[in-house]
Amino acid sequence: MFYKVLDGVKVVEFGNFISAPFCAKILADLGAEVIKIEDPRCGDSSRRAAPFLHDIPGLENSGLFQYLNMNKLGITLNPVAAIGAEIFSVLLKSADVFVENNPPKQMKQLGLTYRFVKEINPRIVMTSITPFGQTGPYKDFQSCELVSAHIGGVGYISMREGDISKEPIKLPAHLFNFQAGLSAAVATLSSIFRQSNTGLGEQLDVSEQESVIQNLNSSIARYAYGGQIMARTDAAGHAPFHILPCKDGFICAAFVEEAEWRRFVEVMGHPEWADNELFKDFASRAKYWDALKPLMVEWTMQYTEEEIYRRSQEKAVPLGAVRTAHQVLEDKQMAARQFFVDIERENTGKLTFPGVPYRFSEIQKEAPSPAPLLGQHNEDIYCGRLGYTKRDLNRLKEAGVI
Amino acid sequence: MMSTPALKGIRVIAFTWVWAGPWMGGVLADMGAEVIKVETMQRLDSQRVVKITKNPEQGPNQGQFNVTNRGVKSITLNLKQPKGLEIIKKLVKISNVIITNFAPRALPGWGLSYDTLKEIKPDIILVTLPAFGSTGPDKDYLSYGSTLEAVGGLSASFGYPGEVPVISGPYPSDPIGSMYGLVGVLAALNYRKKTGKGQHVDIAQNEGVTSLIPEVIMDEVMNRRTRPRMGNRDDIMAPHGCYPCKGHDKWVAIAVDTDKKWHALCRVMGNPDWCKDIKFADQYSRWQNQDELNKLIAGWTRDFTHYEVMRQLQKAGIAAGPSFNIEELINDPHVKNRGIFIEQQHPAAGKTIVYRSPWKSALTAKNPPAPCLGENNNYVFKELLGISDREITELIETKVIY
Repeated sequence: MFYKVLDGVKVVEFGNFISAPFCAKILADLGAEVIKIEDPRCGDSSRRAAPFLHDIPGLENSGLFQYLNMNKLGITLNPVAAIGAEIFSVLLKSADVFVENNPPKQMKQLGLTYRFVKEINPRIVMTSITPFGQTGPYKDFQSCELVSAHIGGVGYISMREGDISKEPIKLPAHLFNFQAGLSAAVATLSSIFRQSNTGLGEQLDVSEQESVIQNLNSSIARYAYGGQIMARTDAAGHAPFHILPCKDGFICAAFVEEAEWRRFVEVMGHPEWADNELFKDFASRAKYWDALKPLMVEWTMQYTEEEIYRRSQEKAVPLGAVRTAHQVLEDKQMAARQFFVDIERENTGKLTFPGVPYRFSEIQKEAPSPAPLLGQHNEDIYCGRLGYTKRDLNRLKEAGVI
Repeated sequence: MMSTPALKGIRVIAFTWVWAGPWMGGVLADMGAEVIKVETMQRLDSQRVVKITKNPEQGPNQGQFNVTNRGVKSITLNLKQPKGLEIIKKLVKISNVIITNFAPRALPGWGLSYDTLKEIKPDIILVTLPAFGSTGPDKDYLSYGSTLEAVGGLSASFGYPGEVPVISGPYPSDPIGSMYGLVGVLAALNYRKKTGKGQHVDIAQNEGVTSLIPEVIMDEVMNRRTRPRMGNRDDIMAPHGCYPCKGHDKWVAIAVDTDKKWHALCRVMGNPDWCKDIKFADQYSRWQNQDELNKLIAGWTRDFTHYEVMRQLQKAGIAAGPSFNIEELINDPHVKNRGIFIEQQHPAAGKTIVYRSPWKSALTAKNPPAPCLGENNNYVFKELLGISDREITELIETKVIY
């Protein structure tokens, strides 16, 4: 764990890939005990997702899996088998929280809908994360990061200067899967608080599409107030933000207030062209961007990202360096806050991972523990807690239950 | 008790502006907390007056502010005046949580450091959400959502294959920051319930961005490589992209993850000859030849609306969904069924549309629209703090309530 906040809270996680595991990771990072249930044959599907150490795939080589599942206990269990369902019930009976991201139909087939889970444990908080929610005409639809990004309305407004003959694009990696998990964790923490005050449980119906929609603040306002349908090339909305090339990479310039533009003009050494009528204010600069851009680029191409970033910020200009992963890892600010952590793990050795973006003043920060190997804690849980013998364990394994 | 929202009885003081801080307030209000936003005519929340406003000439209650701050209360108080500071300290004494996304020096600058706040109320929870954190060499750096994407490492991996980095349309770093801020608030509330202790939780927004794109970091850590800009492409899946449909700027996202789904897609498309080409026979080959594959699929999707494509493909078990614009999204049958968007009548701005938190819970509080500036002055100053009418008049005259 990172911080011992949720000491004594017991979580059972049953899902795949990102949203449920990330929700449970946030709880585990805060000191909850998370028992992660994986398919005995192949484990969590993120074990098969890049990046792999040295590009060599393997169940224990995925950086994505290891990030998502640090601080957790890992067991294997096939809940379809009768005895598997029974074991599941036992685990849920003593849990405070149950996090899952399986299709509603599948949970019904497994006898694990909230209605049944509530009977096993009335005070449990069941966090169910799905692409479209537990209800509604699309509840059984297939989805993934790509579809979520677009059906959630973000893809359509992802910026494109000028040419819209090309398709709208999604944001990198699996940002929205992660954001759904993060939103689910917030809801879960709230329900844990309520549970501790009232002894009452509930089901949280978290929809990935809805989590994507929460990014549409500007879009909604424009539409509600003026019927405007925001599009990718909505220059008026994007005018004050631009990514420009520089000597060794790119920078992101932002001039929302006039004062910010004027200070940046000073940073650039007050070139003559800055006094041109065409660039006198926000509206003009947006209108004549095609004329302004090459003039700015002529300046930026002379300096590195770091130089432009530092000089700008020193003069209170809210500019940002477009950092590569390497530069993020070397960032002094993140280093000062000890954001990245090194974790030692069997198979892959010592690797650097992002840590947590929060600090608690009154709680000592601890070292996180590595993500479990497949079935790593089977003996601890099945034998140590549920009373099975090691021979039982072998029989269960042979029967494909664990 | 059965239907009591989780944070009923919790009072939050919000020193927030723009988006990341205010969205925390909106979600806390959804959870049943009483959120009191401290505003001042000295420097209005920019969302009240700039960006998107319904009737700009009609003052500070017409802005995008109304989308984010629904359910929140507003007081006006000038903290630079000693009387103002005195009053806020009285409010702190009867509150549980303080949230802020102001710059790190803001609250301490008014004499409201965590140490001072603790003296007033020993178990107070302070959650700070500045751009780069409250400590470290860059703590006073300025930012916008777009520049945080850049510094957090998202922009370098975002764009069309072979093209320059681009800025996202919606600037997700803000709502990501809000959610991590809420993790801080709720974790601290849970911790305080158990231990009686308060907390200062500090969250760095740039670290929040990096936390949601670990693949980008891990590719560098494991393979000394920055994840390339991939547009809609996936590491493994193909077809995986956005395809043109009937109408202007209409697109549908389609993702195929198995050979079985590929054959299903071929069937839906009427088994055209090109589907049998060995170039597309297996996932690896489809990925290698995806540019050609995408053109061929586009030749099919072009004849249908995006809804038609989604329906046909979802019926065949394939992940597909339109790239919705905001109008389509609001009017979509599933979105309507889920009750995500809520139409409100704002006393000053008239019709406004807001969205609820991204989870469906029976316990979400039913809250009024966003407050007009200082709308709750009487409630807070008279009812909560017992300040007399005469004194309130004087405080208004001397620009303390201002």
